[in-house]
Amino acid sequence: MNFPENLRYTRTHEWIALTGNKGKVGVTEYAQKEISDVVFVELARKGHAVAQGKAASVVESVKAAFDIYAPLAGVISDFNQALESNPGLVNQDPYGAGWLFELEVTDPSALNTLMTAAQYAEFIQSGAGH
Amino acid sequence: MTLETVSKKLPLYAEHVALGARMGEFGGWEVPLYYSSVIEEHKAVRAAAGIFDISHMGEILVEGPRALEFLERNLPRRIAPVKLQQAIYTPLLNDRGGMVDDIIVYRVREDRFLIIVNAGNIAKDFEWFCARAPKGAVVTDLSPQYGLFAVQGPEAAAIVSAAFGVFFTQLKRFQYRDFEGGIIARTGYTGEDGFEIMVPLERLKPVWDVLLEVGGRKGLKPVGFGARDTLRLEAAMPLYGHELSDEITPLEAGLEWAIDLTKDEFPGLEVLKAQKAAGIPKKRVGFEMTGRGIPRHECEVRQNGRKVGWVTSGSFIPAHGSFAGRNIGMAFVETAQAETGTEIDVMIRGAAAGARVVSLPFYKRK
Repeated sequence: MNFPENLRYTRTHEWIALTGNKGKVGVTEYAQKEISDVVFVELARKGHAVAQGKAASVVESVKAAFDIYAPLAGVISDFNQALESNPGLVNQDPYGAGWLFELEVTDPSALNTLMTAAQYAEFIQSGAGH
Repeated sequence: MTLETVSKKLPLYAEHVALGARMGEFGGWEVPLYYSSVIEEHKAVRAAAGIFDISHMGEILVEGPRALEFLERNLPRRIAPVKLQQAIYTPLLNDRGGMVDDIIVYRVREDRFLIIVNAGNIAKDFEWFCARAPKGAVVTDLSPQYGLFAVQGPEAAAIVSAAFGVFFTQLKRFQYRDFEGGIIARTGYTGEDGFEIMVPLERLKPVWDVLLEVGGRKGLKPVGFGARDTLRLEAAMPLYGHELSDEITPLEAGLEWAIDLTKDEFPGLEVLKAQKAAGIPKKRVGFEMTGRGIPRHECEVRQNGRKVGWVTSGSFIPAHGSFAGRNIGMAFVETAQAETGTEIDVMIRGAAAGARVVSLPFYKRK
């Protein structure tokens, strides 16, 4: 499975790509496979402040809804409008066109609390991600 | 004593895993949720055919010189007119007119009836039959001895014909014939033409293998419980625990066609007659979302901010044929809100999303 080196990862299977204090967030390849066909995304609300680990968006498969948590504390600064008409992008391109929202991160140094690609890969392999 | 609950495994558990199934829990059973994807499997059944392992379902036998009289006095439809090798769908009712289960009764002999019941209700139904059975009607739970498949879809008849002979394709809906120590019946739970095949456990694997091999050439796919649910929802078929419960009457559930209020006797008859005369307070309806969101079981239904009912089943239904993908559901609403075209709100994660009452079923095969 593909876990890009330039991203940081959560134990709840989100990734974040931080540039300055802006971080794009999505779900990992592992997560999109677990969720299976994404048929609906409840988009994050712009301007909404979220604490680290709190639900910011919801991704739904045919049978179930999955909360997507903010990897770091911040304020939602953008969301992926394309998912409204094409939620399947989350499956097709989880690290690209399937991104979920952008976060204006309160404390960029907190990035170090998240897993690196290697750590996340090990976390998945250990089976602890279930 | 242990408080741990362990899901029961289907007899063909290993086959499902070998086919790549994602397994999950349903009614105390570990079942295949999907093999490829719910969407692909839903489409396969609408376009060609699917095979479902529904061996979790229960089988109860009622036999003896008083078996017919027993069922006639306790079931809400007339059983005497059911001919040999025919089956009938009927609610099973409590004394309050609520639904204990919905079942299919197969007439095996003049004095012998095979009854297929929902997996989650096997113990409750068995007790219901035993408590009411007179001497001369013997009730046996055969559930552990039989398995059940469904083959459903426009290609189902061609597949069953190729696998087991054209003989079975002459069956009309709700007829059945003996097969391999069990039966093949023209029944199903998808809104498509199809068959349900009940065989003793030891015949399960060979029958499964033949159907997969022969059917595979005609587009047959193994289908999990995810698509089984979206298919039956689109066909507006009720699911016990969702549209049906001990507290819901068949009149409310839209099953008036499956009860006979002119019968002399059956549990709940007087309650149902009174409800029919007074009018039902709530009614099962279908709705289609007009706002954004997927309705789910137990979401509240409101109108102008007031609670008027609850969602019993809801899902995204994949696009197929001329149908676009859509978010639909069934709900119980107060009778005043049950008219087709009524605008309602479904509460999804605390926010109201618009929906419109539509006529059922959502899908009917041509």
